[in-house]
Amino acid sequence: MFRSITFLIICCLLIFAFSCEKNKDSDGKLTITFWHSFVSSTIPALNKLVQKFEDEHPEIHIHAQYIPTGDALIQKLITSIQSKTAPDISWIHADFLEDLVSADAIYKMSYFINGENGLSQDEISKIYPSLLVYSSWQDTLYSLPMEATNLGLLYNKQHFRDAKLDPESPPKTWDELRSYAKKLSIDKNGDGKFDQIGFFVPIYPSSGPLYPWMVWQWMPFIWQAGGYLINEEQTKVLFNMKPGIEALELWKELYLNSNMSTFTTDYDVAFAAGRLSMAMDGPWNLGRFNELLKNVDWAIAPLPAGPVKQATVAGGEYLTIFKQSKHPQEAWTFIKWLIRPDIQAFWSMNSGYLPIRRDVLQNKEYQDYLASNPNLKAYVEQMDYAQTQRSIDFFTLEITRNLAIALEKATLGNMDIKTVLDEAASESNKLLDSVKR
Amino acid sequence: MSKKIKFYKKESFSAILFLSPTLIIFSVFILLPVVFSFYLSFHDWNMFSADKQYVGFDNYSKMLTSAEFWRVLKNTAVYTFCTVPLSMAVALVIAFFLNKKIIGKKFLRTAFFTPVVISAVAAAVIWRWIYDPNFGLLNYVLGLIGIPAINWINNPTAAMSALIIMGVWKSLGSNMILYLAGLQGIPDHYYEAAEIDGAGGWHKFWRITVPLLGPTTFFILVISIIGSFQVFDIVYVLTYGGPLGATKVLVFYLYEHAFKFFNMGYASAAAYILFAIIFILTLLQTKFMRTHYTIK
Repeated sequence: MFRSITFLIICCLLIFAFSCEKNKDSDGKLTITFWHSFVSSTIPALNKLVQKFEDEHPEIHIHAQYIPTGDALIQKLITSIQSKTAPDISWIHADFLEDLVSADAIYKMSYFINGENGLSQDEISKIYPSLLVYSSWQDTLYSLPMEATNLGLLYNKQHFRDAKLDPESPPKTWDELRSYAKKLSIDKNGDGKFDQIGFFVPIYPSSGPLYPWMVWQWMPFIWQAGGYLINEEQTKVLFNMKPGIEALELWKELYLNSNMSTFTTDYDVAFAAGRLSMAMDGPWNLGRFNELLKNVDWAIAPLPAGPVKQATVAGGEYLTIFKQSKHPQEAWTFIKWLIRPDIQAFWSMNSGYLPIRRDVLQNKEYQDYLASNPNLKAYVEQMDYAQTQRSIDFFTLEITRNLAIALEKATLGNMDIKTVLDEAASESNKLLDSVKR
Repeated sequence: MSKKIKFYKKESFSAILFLSPTLIIFSVFILLPVVFSFYLSFHDWNMFSADKQYVGFDNYSKMLTSAEFWRVLKNTAVYTFCTVPLSMAVALVIAFFLNKKIIGKKFLRTAFFTPVVISAVAAAVIWRWIYDPNFGLLNYVLGLIGIPAINWINNPTAAMSALIIMGVWKSLGSNMILYLAGLQGIPDHYYEAAEIDGAGGWHKFWRITVPLLGPTTFFILVISIIGSFQVFDIVYVLTYGGPLGATKVLVFYLYEHAFKFFNMGYASAAAYILFAIIFILTLLQTKFMRTHYTIK
């Protein structure tokens, strides 16, 4: 009896001993934990980046921890905040800023920027302003981007040649997109089904995990038509106005004309198999595409311009520092280091992501690199008219969902555009009205 | 006397010690969450913040007046009341034949039971391919007998059928095993007596097999309805509740509110409503069926 109890106690102690967190490595280094969900093809580049930082800052050790999918990341963050084991730094998505701020879990960036080891306003102003909108909540900066992304047009040059279209001149307007998509949707064997689709309209189940991705890809179209998702005061959504209707009309037409509901949602695989001619995609896939699209003659072009202007959607990966961190200053050192122009160039060349600041383009080495990587160059050049959505500080998850439902109903459900957008708008406005300001 | 008490004390102490791993796991991972979520269902909580705001019955009343909730409930009911009878009927027929002396009996039993042990997620990935509108096996087979291709996953009506077919496939095996056990419990002399009285195959099945399988049928019915109301994994992987929310079921709805929108209180209320529904259904079944079907 006594022996078995002793045994149990020893087991408990051992488990306890192994689970104790170490703040200092045996060699006296500080450890900064960093959670992220980079696509697996980016991990080698990240390791190189971390190595470079540790070479310059031998007193700090960066422990980069990969958490698959953004959904899992946020769920893990919640648990860790509750159990007081939050990481020092983590990727966060702007949609969750409302909750993180209200829980008092993260630092304001001004705390570090205005601190001893801070950043000058001049330095901050070098960052693309649209990226900073996204990293703020109620006009306060809570995170900083580590890289930029945007959406470009991925297209198959061989398909263009086959259809007697100029492969060096991808569609520049909505009308061209319409006519190109029509010419490139081909029924090769005459069975009444398209064997090749011109343009991939990214419709995903509005109740599934990909609906934010669907809405994100729709946003450039409403901007191109001169509209916005929400008014500046954030009291009313605007996506059911004329620009929103025009943007959804375009999507619906492209969707129905190529009978997209029987098409796969794995657009990259379809593209690799030569069953798809054009799709929207971001720079995070460039590294993967070099392998996947080995046998395809592909290129990246800017998104076509709409009736009002040229626009694409900008995104990025945003880093924030948690209040539970024992070494916030060292965590800040890492973030500050990442913003340095030479590091941004280094990171972009290794990972395929875009720099967060325009002055990186003056870097000679980076210019040479872009000259030999035209696809990356196409993305970088698009940053000049890349936008982010006006921030929605409250109910952003719910409003995005309402819009996703409207997109799905109009295309897959073939329902009236005005009706579904009005429905989504009235649901969203009800939520916005309930916000106590 | 005192010696005896001491003995019992010692006995129960070691009993508790040996049971403690299970008891601890049960309390921490099942009992505690059950109680905690009941408490949460009267609160508004986003999981991030430390304070939980008491809202009384708000979560419940909001849900019962939400049109989406009733649509979700209807989807769940349609899934359950199609899957359960279909699966039970097919399972009974298969069990009946696999109980006879036929060639490859063991292989067939294994084959029918395999879906039960396959992880639902892996199975749903396979079914996504079977249902693929362009390359899918199902449409190919239907094409051979002249039925035009159906867009299984992306058509709101077809998607529910796709889910039901997969649900039947997945639950068939365990129902079949239970029926097999039930069939083997029926003594042969009942059949022999019936044969002497001149009963044919159909009569024997309908008058002897089916009534004597009563308790088994009752058990399977109760278990299957509970299981079907709780369906989640195959929905999550096969259709994501889509298209247009046509296959969104109650547990999926609960999951969305808990882990997408972080309305923990609302999700907990949904869990307790699900509990109430299952509880009432089970109560009704015991009331109406036990008198007929339990062996006295």
